[in-house]
This record gives sequence, structure tokens and C-alpha cells, in this order.
Amino acid sequence: MSDQRVFARYKANEIVTDLQNFGVKKFKSNTTRRKNALRKIIANLTLGNYGEMSLLFPELLKFWQIEDDLEVKRICHEYIRVMGVLKPQQAKEALPFIMDDFKSRDGKLQMLALRTLVLVPLREFSDQAFDCIISLVNHKAPPEDVTRMAIYALLDLDEIDHERVLGLSSILHEIVRLQSSPPEVVVAALHTLYSVHEKNANMEPFELSLDLAFNMLELLPELNEWNKATVLEILTTSVVPQHYLDANEMIELTLPYLQQVNTYVVLNTFKFIMYLLNYVDVIKESLAEKLSNSVIALLDKPPELQFLVLRNVILLLLSRESSLLRLDISYFFIEYNDPIYIKDTKLECLYLLADKETLPRILEELEQYATDIDIQMSRKSVRAIGNLAVKLDEDSVHDCVAVLLDLLEFGVDYVVQEIMSVFRNILRKYPNNFKKNVKELVKHTEVVQEPESKNAMIWIITQYSDIIPNYLDLFKVFSSNMFNETLEVQFSILNSATKFFIRCPTKETEELCMDLLKGCTDQENNPDLRDKAFMYWRLLSLTKMSGTSSALTFEALKSVVDGELPLIEMNTKLDPTVLEELELNIGTIVSIYLKPVSHIFRLNKTKLLPPSPVLNSNKDLLPVVDNSFSPTGANRNRQNSESQSSTKSRRTAMMDDYDKPAEKINQLKGKRKSSSNNPSKLSRKPSTLLRKLSMKRPFS
Amino acid sequence: MSSSLFILDEDLEPLVSKNIRSIPNLSSILSSFKQCYHWDSPPILSQNGWFFIHFKRDFLHFISVIHATDKPSIDLMSILAFLEQFYHLLRKYFEINVLSKNIILDNVLLVLELVDECIDFGIVQVTDPSIIKDYIRVKVNLPKVPIDSDEWSSGDESSSSSSEYSDSEKRTKKKKKKKKKKKSGKAKNVGKSKIKSLMVNNKENKGTDVVEAVKETFRNKNDTGRNSPDDDLPNDGNDLYINGDIAKTIIMPISWRTKGIHYSKNEFFLDVIERVQYLMDFEKGIIRKNLIHGEIVCRCYLSGMPKLKISINKLLNKDPQFMSNLKFHQCVSLDSINIIEEEGRDSDDARSQTATDTKEIEFIPPDGEFVLCQYELKRHVKDAPMIKLQGFEIKPKLKKFKIQIITKIQTNFKPTNSTSKLNVKIPLTKVFQDYRIDLSKQIRFKANLGKVVFNLSDDFLLWEIETMKGHRERNTGTVPQEDDASTLASMVAEFPLFNQEEYDRLQEELKTSMNPPPLRTGPKLEELYKQVHEERVLHTHDVAPRDKLVSIDFEIPYCTCSGLKVEYLKVEEPQLQYQSFPWVRYKTISDDEYAYIV
Repeated sequence: MSDQRVFARYKANEIVTDLQNFGVKKFKSNTTRRKNALRKIIANLTLGNYGEMSLLFPELLKFWQIEDDLEVKRICHEYIRVMGVLKPQQAKEALPFIMDDFKSRDGKLQMLALRTLVLVPLREFSDQAFDCIISLVNHKAPPEDVTRMAIYALLDLDEIDHERVLGLSSILHEIVRLQSSPPEVVVAALHTLYSVHEKNANMEPFELSLDLAFNMLELLPELNEWNKATVLEILTTSVVPQHYLDANEMIELTLPYLQQVNTYVVLNTFKFIMYLLNYVDVIKESLAEKLSNSVIALLDKPPELQFLVLRNVILLLLSRESSLLRLDISYFFIEYNDPIYIKDTKLECLYLLADKETLPRILEELEQYATDIDIQMSRKSVRAIGNLAVKLDEDSVHDCVAVLLDLLEFGVDYVVQEIMSVFRNILRKYPNNFKKNVKELVKHTEVVQEPESKNAMIWIITQYSDIIPNYLDLFKVFSSNMFNETLEVQFSILNSATKFFIRCPTKETEELCMDLLKGCTDQENNPDLRDKAFMYWRLLSLTKMSGTSSALTFEALKSVVDGELPLIEMNTKLDPTVLEELELNIGTIVSIYLKPVSHIFRLNKTKLLPPSPVLNSNKDLLPVVDNSFSPTGANRNRQNSESQSSTKSRRTAMMDDYDKPAEKINQLKGKRKSSSNNPSKLSRKPSTLLRKLSMKRPFS
Repeated sequence: MSSSLFILDEDLEPLVSKNIRSIPNLSSILSSFKQCYHWDSPPILSQNGWFFIHFKRDFLHFISVIHATDKPSIDLMSILAFLEQFYHLLRKYFEINVLSKNIILDNVLLVLELVDECIDFGIVQVTDPSIIKDYIRVKVNLPKVPIDSDEWSSGDESSSSSSEYSDSEKRTKKKKKKKKKKKSGKAKNVGKSKIKSLMVNNKENKGTDVVEAVKETFRNKNDTGRNSPDDDLPNDGNDLYINGDIAKTIIMPISWRTKGIHYSKNEFFLDVIERVQYLMDFEKGIIRKNLIHGEIVCRCYLSGMPKLKISINKLLNKDPQFMSNLKFHQCVSLDSINIIEEEGRDSDDARSQTATDTKEIEFIPPDGEFVLCQYELKRHVKDAPMIKLQGFEIKPKLKKFKIQIITKIQTNFKPTNSTSKLNVKIPLTKVFQDYRIDLSKQIRFKANLGKVVFNLSDDFLLWEIETMKGHRERNTGTVPQEDDASTLASMVAEFPLFNQEEYDRLQEELKTSMNPPPLRTGPKLEELYKQVHEERVLHTHDVAPRDKLVSIDFEIPYCTCSGLKVEYLKVEEPQLQYQSFPWVRYKTISDDEYAYIV
């Protein structure tokens, strides 16, 4: 068939003529022709030609009655699904036909019909859908695939009629509890229950008893990959280990799935294990190794998946004082053919991974990127080097600075500008270590063009005016052109001019300062700038006016205008409660943005670690031990009766559980409140690596 | 989960749209996607409260749309993983390697149906091609005359190179071909167009014909073997059959294999394919990358529910790196492998047992082709590459107005093996930029093995060697240079440089002499070069990183770089107890990136 003809915009009556041939049904050519016409309808729906297509409704209904062909049925159902939203009245006319399809004995048709019923958001349709599902449930031996689909359908119906779904939920609970249905149906039931709980803010988070959880885990080998992943996802947070051994056992059961090909399964396994690690007493070295290996293996995937994995790696790296993962930095070295988003993310990983040992290698790499042809990339890597210098301790900073100075000689203007910006931060942190390099830096005064690097340059000149002999000349490069600058730069020029004057009140500085103040107050339209100028002016005049009874001493003035700057530090840590939430959301959209769920989806519930006697309050204290270490009291008896009853003969009770002090139990509630009231903390996320430092910089 | 799915063409026009959660106006969503998309945007975008998860494969965009209020935290991973799988599913379905806009347009309904089958209300159910293939039996609307016939063969690497494989292999193929002929009569009812396309191919190309034929037989074998009643059904343009038994497979415990598969000859092919990725800075002598991406690809044509046991030497030796980087197909019961690992660990308790216990991969394979496992190994820096660039030199001989490019390569694997393909690509961009090369004079190539081709438009030399014997560096003492030519190949390319003096003299002579200018035969390379490069020179002056790579493309059969070996392969089918024919072969090929930076 010639396809181009199918896939083009048609008028309704053109298709009608094709369709109307059905009177002479015997001929083959007509059937194919009609089918072609139907295909055209679908093509037009894809193209968004709804208006014309809706005219075909009566024609289509005629077909529905006479055709048994599944493909035709499919087209009809597809049509109703699309049109149902747009033309509810017409769609209702089709309802009896849909019901006919449902009543047929063909499972495939039943599924088609049920799907259509659910997908058309009309009261009548969903009523019918409920009836259908109930009839299915009451059926003695319903076909399994239809049942499975019906259970999934409930999830959609929940949005329409929550109460009715709740009414059916007992059946689902039963399915999960009995485990007698085929595994896929059980998973479907579990999933629907879980999602219904998650969706509705007023419902408690879904909980699964330990027994059932273990049953589900044992079912895993029989499930297909997607269902495996679904189960693992549901189990995260819905099953609460009551003892270290519970957690350890579950980890043992899920560990093999780290070796699946399907990324989704692996990542969900990962999530589940990370979750369980909140409930163990020690972490085995081998486990950490396995987790690391699986992460690395995941990096060998198409870029999109790689991106996601990398984002999650960042998350995991952040989560602990000493990272749980052992990742070789070479995996995060950037390839020239990586898409830009991967490059960025890898850079971030490198930044986070950097420590004393790895620094030389990382710096070597970053230096290479800095001389890359890609301008964006080279800027970002310069930025990263600068940030590393601030992040790491004093020994490492010299290496970083050495690299930066090397790059400075490279002399490309965007690199120089970027270096200026980062050098300011380094000088902020180590004001006295690099005085000798300042002269080298200010040679490039003429080069800087961008507001940020201009700002940085002005700041450097001002701060080290005592060691730069011609500082005023350098400064005038900027100040002479002040009124064409961006507001930011204007602020810093104003501030610097005042500082110069205060530090060394000569005629020259006074003139400069007063000129600028005048200019700002007279000519400038921006109220902020004007206000600032006025403020400086008044401060100056207050001190100047009288020698003895001045309202403001010179020292006070100096401390206001030219005060000590606080030390800066790179903040790479997320708020622990946010982190905890993020860890429970590995592999979701949240981990891309590294923001709590509530920031992205306002209406959604926050996932929390459910409390349990064995919940670790501080993850950093969790020891990582080598394999020979046997978990505490693994072979001893335990007298915790409540949890003993919950699991079968899986483990034996133990005594020394009691030596864990009670206050170890996390006081989650109080803690969480404080964090949610403090959004500024959240905005200081680590991914600001490539952006500004979040410190407030007074008057800079 | 996804609210709707789109497949868009390169201009972001919709080819297929699937409304999963009945969203009123799909086109408006699409336009907001167009607003925020640009060519290197990250795989997730958001606009107007919609999240778009997308990627681009073969000129097609796959997009999944989700609304911000849809579900607690969008499960991004599942969506991306699904889209990826769906893309593979489509490729498997259409049996082509590169999807195109037209094939999607031809099969819109099929794609819609596939989506329907893969996800229920946005929840991914099954994406295994071998299962769905049984479930949805719509005839794929392939173009009548397959233009991409070579894609067929290149797609199936193992079969394309099959001719080089063992004789026994050939024999089986031939047999199959015969069988195919027998069956073609029957098959005519099923897929007329398929046969037709095959005929065309037969005429066109004998090489691909074998591949096609084999494929065809396999497909037909499945068709006829399993649901022979289909053949009797009247075929009134209705290409759709449902096998009730098969439809239930998805919800069976073993969801990847249907019951009641029957083959008259039971065969199992196992190919170990290792792609070697290698990147070395030749000047500095730094090895940037030395990795092996391994894959065990199986094709299973076994009846019933066979249970397979495979033992691999690496598993036996408990190679820790191998164990940790192994990824399995979902059919492998991971417990069995894990036990081995655990045993390796708990050496105190179970040392006595380890000796006797199984160290094998146990699985019930899906039907047809699948990837049993993937692994990635890092090679040690000191491990020499399989094909080593011994020397690379650009020697300008300015006095003679010539420039020589000398390249030497050496093999490094077992002497009993040899390469079946070996191409060395030498970039010339830099040479052409740095020197003024006079293409009007003859270029001379000298190689002791293979031949050298000059690619004018893309500026590189292609040195085609094909077969080259393996070679192992003996223990110190002997100097490799003494080796015979079959293991150390060298090539010299000589380009003439522009000689201003000579040029002037000639021009002068032409002016003064009465003789006509000397006759030149053959293509005028300098003019061609000019034509091709005219526009390009204007834009770029820098040497792209790609142009600094001497890349080597090779294929070595019967050999694995990592030394992986399948110790044994057992096929057990308790009920049918048939005789089966397992075939195992190995191959090492170069990854896209096997190169030296020069």
C-alpha cells in the first residue's frame, strides 16, 4: 500500500467514500480499501485533525457492528479513546458496542474494551468499568491476563472515584496475602495498592508485613524484569525491618539482581539495598564493592541512561561523609564525544570524588579539558579547578593554583576571565597564601569583559591594593566606564572606591570616590545604586564632620565598609533529611534535580524512612567492615517476641540487642520540621558547583 | 508513568502518538516540547508542567510525556529503560537495524498495538521481543524491494561473517537453505511479500542471500512448526493470528518462553563476542583506555522447555573482576551464580563443598536470539593490545619535495589465529594542513601486506590488510623486528610536495616551448580535492580530535581477548530428550574506539 497517502490530512467526506463501499462486502479489494480508510483515520488523529475526524463517528459505529476483524476493532477503540474526551455525547453512543466487546469470550477483545472504558473520562464509562471489574472478580476463573489488566485499571479509576476503588481494595489485599494467584497478578495487585496509597495524601503510606515481603522477594526469580523492578520499588519503604538480621537477609535475597541487564531493575535493587542499609548494624566490605561494581557497569549504557546513573552516583557520593562506593575516577573522565549533559555531570562527579590522593590525576584531566576547543567545557573545568581549591585543604590548594597559573599563561580570554572569577574565591579562603601571584593576575585587567570576572578583578585589586603599586590606574580602567556596566559591577566599583578612600584618604582617592558618588546619585536611575551611593556618602560625611563628637568613629566606618570578610567554604553537603528522601527516590526525576519531591511536585507525599528499632540515626557512623566480620550476634538467641512471630524460622533471637541504647531511635519528626522551614538550605545544593558560591558577600 | 508516548521524525512532526491517560489535546503538548527542545538538551525536559523524557535514535525521537501532578515522583528510570527497550523491540520487529520514518509510517497500527501490549495504563509489562512476537502477529509492512539489503547482513554480525567459520557451520546452513526451499511453498500463503523480497535479493546478491534464507527459514520454521493451522486459514488480507496458548505466556512463571515450541532439529548457537576498546596516546605513550566489552549472544532453536547449563572458565576460576561486572539476561536464575560467589567468600565454612558444587550458568532460554550476558573487563595497562601500532611517523623530505607516512603494525595474539578483517585508517587532515601537497603528481604506496586506498573527500588513508597472522612476543632477547612480514606489517605512503621552483620552470617551459602540455591520464586528483574541500576549508581550521586518531578496525575469529572460554554447554530437556547440537564460537572485534592518538 502506498503509505504516504495514508499519512496525510484528509477531509471527512473523502474517507467516507472509501468506507461506504461496505455494501459489497464480498470483494477483497473493498475490505483492504476500507481498512486503509480506517488507517487514514488513525493517521489523521495522530496529526491532530480532530475536527474532521469527529464527523466520521456514525460511519465508524456501523463498522463496529459488522466487522469481526481485530484490527478494525482496534481502530474503533483507538478512535473512541481519542474522541471520548472531545465529544462525550457521541462517545456515549458507542458504549453498548464496547460492552458487547467486553462480553465476548475473547480475552484480547475484553482487554481492549476494558481499556477503552477506563480511558474515556466519562461517568458512564467509568461506571461500566467498575461493573466489569466487579464481574471479573466474581467470575470463578477469570482469564489471568484480563484480571491483571483490570487490576492495573483500578489505578486509573482511582482518580475518578477513589471511594469505589477503596471498596475493592480488600480484594487486592486478599490477592497479595494469599499469594495463590499467578505471580504477575499478585504484583499487579501489590502495585495498585501501593500506588493508591501513594497517590492519596490522606492515606497512610503503604505497609507490607515482613512475612509478605519475604514472600515477594522469593517470588522474584519467577517474575519478568519489569515486575521484578516494580516489586523492589514497592518494597522500598513499605517493608520495615525490625531487626538487623531482617535487613541483612533481604539484602542477601536482592543482591543477585544487581547483575541484571535491565538498568531499571538494577537501579531499583540499588535503591532497595540503600534503603535497607539504614537498618543494618554494619556494612560488609563485599557489599560496598558489589554496589560500586554495579554502578560502574551501568555506566556502559546509552548516554541517556548513563546520565541518569551519573546523577544518582552524585547522590550516593553526597550521602556519606566517607563514600560507600569505591569508584575509580577514571570512569568519570570526559570523552570528547559525550553529550554536553554527560560532560557536566561527570565534571560534578569528579569534583565530588576529589580528595588528596586523586587530586593530581583529576587536575591533570581538568587541565586538559580547560584547553579544550569547546568553550563551555573549558570554562566549566576552570571553574571546577577553582572550586576544588576551595573545597580541599591547604596542601591541595597549591596544586590547584599552580594549574590555574599555568592556564593563565595559555592566555585565551575566556579562560582568563574564568580564572579571575575562581581566583577571587581562592583568595577569599586563603587571603595570605597567594599574595605573590596577585601581580600576575592583575596584568590581565584589560582582558576581563564579563560582569562576574570584572567583579572578581575589582575585588582583587581592592583587596590587595597595598601590594599593587598602580592599583588606582588599574581601578580606573573600570571606574571610568562605570555607567555602562551592569548593576553588579557598578556596586563593586562604588564599594571599592569608598574602600580606597577610607584606607588611604589622599586627594586622588577622595576625588575618585566623590566623583563616583556624585555620579551615582545624580545620573543613575537605578534606585538601588542611588541608595547605596547615598548610604556611603552619609557614612562618610557622618565621620568626617566633626573630630570628637562624631556619631561614627573612623574605626566603625572602616568596619562597616571595609570589614573582615568571613571565611568561605564550599558546601557539598545536602541537608540530611533531604538526602534521606532523595535516597529513597533513586532513579526518579527527583534524583535528576537533586531536590526534595515537594519542590518539584507540590502535591506529592514525601517518602520517609519508617521508624524501626534498628533504624540508624547517623549513617556516617555505620562501620564498613571486611568480610570476615560476622554481624553482631548472628548466631545468638534473640528474645524479641514480636518480630520473632513475624518471620518464620529465618533467624534466631538474640540477646545483645538490648545493649543498643534507646536514644538511638531517630527523632524524625522534630528534625524534619526544622529542615522544611529552611528552604535556603536546600537551594544550596551541590550542583551549584558550576555556579556561584552561595555565601553572602557583604558589599563585594 | 507516562501519560502519552510519541514517536517523532527529525523535524519533530508526530509519526505515532499514543494517548495513555486520555489527555485532551496532544498537539499542544507536542508544541510545548518543541519549544524546549534543542539538539543537545538533556534527556529530561520540563515545560508548562509537563515533563518530557526523550531520546533520539536513528533520526527518530522517542518521547514520553508525564504531567507534573501525575504520580509521586516520576519513575524516570523505568521510562528511559522502557523507551530504550521499545526501540530495540521495534528494530527486532521490523528486522532492520536502522529505523526510518517510512517504516514507522507504514506500520503505525502495529506500533500502537505494540505500545498497548508493552504497557498497561502506563505500567510497563513486557518488552521481550520473542514473546511479543508470538502475541502480536501483524505482518510487518516492509518495503517490497529492500534497499537496505546489506544492512540485513551487517546487523547480524555473526551470520555475516559466517562464511569464514567452520565447515560444519556451513553445512548446517546449507541444510537449512534446502529446508527453506521445501517450505517455501507453504510459506507462500503466509507472507507473499516476504518471499518476493527474498527473490529479488537472491538475484541481487548472493552473499546476503544465505543470511536471508537462514533468517527466513527460522521464521517460517517458527510459524509452521508451532501453529500449522494458520496455514489453512483463509488469508483475506487479515494478517493477524492469535495463539491462545501463547497469549498466556506473559503471566506464566517463565514469562520469556512459550510452551509447545517444536523444531525438527534442535540447535543452540552461542557466540562469544568481545569488543576491544583501546585508546592510546602514541606520542606520550599513555594508554587512555583498555577495555573489553564482552557479550554472549545466543540463538536458540530448541524444542520444549530445555534447561541449559553453561560453564565458563572465568566462573570456574572465580575471576573477581569478571564476576562483578557480569550482567545477565532475565532468564538466568541468578541464585545459582550467586551461590558460587558466596562460596568463594565464606571460605571458612564451606570450603569442603566448593569443590563439588556447580559453577555454571543455569537457564531456560527464550526462543530465538537473545543476549545471555554482558560483561565489561578492564585490561591491565601492561597488557599489550591485540593489534599494536608499532610505528607511526610523518617524515617530510623537503629536499626531495616528498613527504612519507610510515606506519607499522604488529599483531599480538596466538599464532594459530589470524584476523579476518583488518583495516587501518590513517588521518591526513593535519598533513594536508601543514604541507602543501601536490596531488597532480603521483602518490605512491608501498605495503608488505594488503593494499592502501586514499580517500580524497574525507582525507584519510585506508590500509586494508584483511588477514594477518597472530604473533606473540617471545621472552626477552629476540627483537620483534626480525619477525616475518606476516606478523609485522608496514606501509609507506609517499605524497609529493608542491615544488614551487619546478612549477615555475614548467610554466615557463610551457610558455616558450611549442610542445603541447604532456598528456595526463586518470583522474585529476588535485581538482577533485579542490572541489570537495572548497567549502570546508572556509569553516574549520582546527584539527578535530577525530582527525588525530589512527583507528584500527579488525575482527579475529576463534579468539577471545580476555581468554574467556566456554568449558561445556549442556542441553537438557527432561520430557522430550532429544539430541541437540550446541555450537560455540568466539570472536574478538574492535570497538568503535580502537585508536591511537598521534
